[in-house]
Amino acid sequence: MAPVVGQAVPRVDGPAKASGSARYVDDLTRPGMLFGATLRSPVPRGRLLGVDRDPSFDWSGVTVVTAADVPVNVVATIERDQPVLAAGEVRHVAEPIALVACEDRLRLERALAHLTPRIEPLPAVLTIGEALEARTAIHGADNVMKRYAITKGRGRDGLTGCEVVVTGRYETGAQEHVYIEPQGMLAWWEGDDAHVVGSLQCPYYVQKGIKTVFGLADDGVDVTQATTGGGFGGKEEYPTVVALHALLLARKSGRPVKLVYGRKEDVEATTKRHPSVVEITTGCDRDGTFRAFAARVVFDGGAYVTLTPVVLSRGALHATGPYRWDDVSVEALAVATNTPPNGAFRGFGAPQTQWAVERHVDRIARTLDLDPLDLRLRNLLRSGDTTATGQLLAESVGAQRCADEATWASGYRNRRGAGPVVAGRTARGVGVACFWHGAGFTGSGERYLKGRVAVDLLPGGQARIRTASTDIGQGTETVFRQIAADALGVPMASVDFAIPSTRVVPDSGPTVASRTVMVVGSIVEAAARELAERVGREAERSGSTRAEAHERLAGTPALATCEKQYEPPPGLAWDDATYTGDAYPVFGWGCDVAEVEVDLDTFETKVTGFWTAVDVGRAIHPVLCAGQVEGGTLQAIGWALTEKLVTRGGKVLNPRMTDYIVPTSLDAPPFTTLLVEEPYSRGPGGGAKGVGELPMDGGAPAIAAAVEHATSLVLDRLPLLPEDLFEASGAARSGGGPA
Amino acid sequence: MSLHALADHPFAAPRSLAEACALLAERAARGERTVLLAGGTDWIVEQHLAPAPAADAPLPLVADVSRLAELRGVAERGDAIRIGAGTTFLELRRDPLVTARLPLLAAAARDVGAIQIQARGTLAGNLATGSPAADGVAALGALDAVLELASVRGTRRVPIAAFYTGYRRNVLLPDELIAAVEVVPPAPGSPFAWRKVGTRQAQAISKVALAAVAELDRSEGPGARLTRLGLGMASVAPTVVFLPEVRALGLGRPLASIDDEALAAATLAGISPIDDVRSTASYRRHVAVALVRRFFESLRAPS
Repeated sequence: MAPVVGQAVPRVDGPAKASGSARYVDDLTRPGMLFGATLRSPVPRGRLLGVDRDPSFDWSGVTVVTAADVPVNVVATIERDQPVLAAGEVRHVAEPIALVACEDRLRLERALAHLTPRIEPLPAVLTIGEALEARTAIHGADNVMKRYAITKGRGRDGLTGCEVVVTGRYETGAQEHVYIEPQGMLAWWEGDDAHVVGSLQCPYYVQKGIKTVFGLADDGVDVTQATTGGGFGGKEEYPTVVALHALLLARKSGRPVKLVYGRKEDVEATTKRHPSVVEITTGCDRDGTFRAFAARVVFDGGAYVTLTPVVLSRGALHATGPYRWDDVSVEALAVATNTPPNGAFRGFGAPQTQWAVERHVDRIARTLDLDPLDLRLRNLLRSGDTTATGQLLAESVGAQRCADEATWASGYRNRRGAGPVVAGRTARGVGVACFWHGAGFTGSGERYLKGRVAVDLLPGGQARIRTASTDIGQGTETVFRQIAADALGVPMASVDFAIPSTRVVPDSGPTVASRTVMVVGSIVEAAARELAERVGREAERSGSTRAEAHERLAGTPALATCEKQYEPPPGLAWDDATYTGDAYPVFGWGCDVAEVEVDLDTFETKVTGFWTAVDVGRAIHPVLCAGQVEGGTLQAIGWALTEKLVTRGGKVLNPRMTDYIVPTSLDAPPFTTLLVEEPYSRGPGGGAKGVGELPMDGGAPAIAAAVEHATSLVLDRLPLLPEDLFEASGAARSGGGPA
Repeated sequence: MSLHALADHPFAAPRSLAEACALLAERAARGERTVLLAGGTDWIVEQHLAPAPAADAPLPLVADVSRLAELRGVAERGDAIRIGAGTTFLELRRDPLVTARLPLLAAAARDVGAIQIQARGTLAGNLATGSPAADGVAALGALDAVLELASVRGTRRVPIAAFYTGYRRNVLLPDELIAAVEVVPPAPGSPFAWRKVGTRQAQAISKVALAAVAELDRSEGPGARLTRLGLGMASVAPTVVFLPEVRALGLGRPLASIDDEALAAATLAGISPIDDVRSTASYRRHVAVALVRRFFESLRAPS
């Protein structure tokens, strides 16, 4: 059988999605179903005194749920600080206060309008700066949620005596996921058993949240994924909240309840990428050899802890960029603000710190009058180097190859050397960024997770993968079938992918952290291989064909299934207390070259070319893999150039796709995507590494560098709106007259 | 969002322009509100964003005028081109008369929303909603379009510069509808400019947009003069503006004698931009000046 790994086979989920027959949660219904809606806080902080129902409204047939109806009022993530419904204090605008359900959606809207929270406003903390000042304390005495320190060598003392010391400060704003399908869940009860179907990334996270609130055992909760229209991390932790709300309404009303957010509500209420402020001081030799790196990383966690500690951890671990430093000190902290909790978003903290370090490397290059690429090449991590945590990079280090391929394909040196190309009132420039991304969970994460996958032999030569790793549009269903088909030695069409439901699939761990293909895919491969061996042994034992052996095993429940648990690579060592050791089993590597054209009158930036080389270990499906790279890069371009969440008093002023500006297909540059394959010895399909998040890391700094090349304007805060370039150019001070 | 109230609205589908006018007259006389629905790209979105109407609130009658043949089509009428008010932007950008004689309007039509919006949105809808960011209004303003307003009382013609009275307010009476616009096309080959400075390449609402046309008398060589000049600028004031000060400065004078400083002053005299969620007043002032300057630079360049 010819292998399918490495082939761009048709996407299995493609026809249903393209033809419209795929059913998303909003397409689902159940007899007697009610629609649900959420009453939210209009203020960023206040004492919640009560919820008033307008007595003139006809409340018959309307179910209202408040905090008093919640058995255990906790959204269980890392801490237990977030309530399912606000009680006592509201801590951010759009925080859920009460829930309403009824049969008719127009009446539902009217009911919601006749329900009023009574709130006594309290002073709020809205920015990182205000949180650090701590004049108002909303989390402990100092508003600090979490703190990490990473030290290598002499730490900050390494700066002393360095020939060239450079300091800079870099900022990023919030980013909205804009998954194409907003959040939504359909919930019902069968006796004491809770059922939810909905749009989600991590079925077992939702299950855990439900067990905690309702005091249920594993088998009392059934969480099933509906066809999901994108997540990008936005459906990692938040769906638990939506599921709990729908279940609370269903329990009180005794009816199935569907709760689907509109776009505006989704943007106002759900998680965003953490805003950040990063200050970096570095020391290096006059020739550009990096010596010492010291950074202070501050992330805005929002009103509740949620996943912030893990996001911050990943941010801190990527802060040095893919470079060699003798001495490192990273101080990272997350602060609380009265804004909706910031959460998981493709890249998970790493894009913020790599924006900072890449801008900083450009600053060093400026200081030393060196080409930014030469400076990077001199210091890029190589096999045998150690990272800030002392991790020895033993294999699959494609940093250099990526830099070579991207810069060669783009003609970077010629373009850069020629200087900005000014034609009339436009200027073109190019910029480069190098980046890395740890694949899989940080530190001991995978060891604790013990991700599991089952593969079943079914009658008729068929097989089935059972995993909680969901396909949310990225192509998991297809890629896992490819891996399993090759390992089993059967055609891909013979392999099914079970709908992820906690009653059917084992806990493979969450669909996050670029771990699906590399970590869970390797469990799929191991389980399928073991089954193939079983079939082989049975054929040999009975002297029958493999097909006959397959049927016999498929009919024997004890032998038809192989369930495997992830085996972390031996020898990986991580110390949570000192933040030293092997932070990740392996890293993905990348290099981006961006070419931009800036209109010197309007300061509009158009990305006219984009070359990206990424080391993915092994591309299981080259087209889907390149799709991840290009899609992730476009998301980075949006973050860099157009996506700005405008807020006032903690309230989002642009919660619409009209005004929160994500790129359209017309804004996508022509991409040259180069998949570099430095295989990872433990990766499936011959060495695959994680790829989902990697492309989010390099786009923004490459674009900022290109804008700088074109215009000489140095911008260190994202996004780079035309208005920001205009202000930076000094034209603003000339009073709007001729430039 | 209250799209759920859509089905509760009374609905009518007049079969002719006369029937539509009669319906409007009847309802206006009773003081009842009527919504004329063509493409729905403004009104439906507004309903989506509005809170649910109270259960006892009177809902306007929605009258579907999208199928009225009298409101469609592009035709020559004397020196002018008459465009039915119900013509969609997609029809405009594909119409041979428009693309040949009114390339500015075709260019602006191509930048309205994206193709789905262009396929439904109409010129009359753009005019009647009167958003300060209306691309179509800026282009029609530069072309000095005349609006034909119809009612049971007959037809009256209103120059576009006299149509708007304030933010989303205009001179339409409750019993009137926009039946057509008439435009005298510039001489073939006349210079024009359409520049939408938006947030992205499509599905964008402008931060500033400039529509401009000119006719140039080059008979005096270096003393070339403008014999026609029209400008429309979006998103810089409560309504789309037509920059009369720039027109006054530019018309009849040798092009070479118009300096950038005077041009900037004239542009700024015609706009009153604000800071909002899409941009800032100072950026808008800067861009407005730059776009007008660029247009004049293009006129001065030897053709």
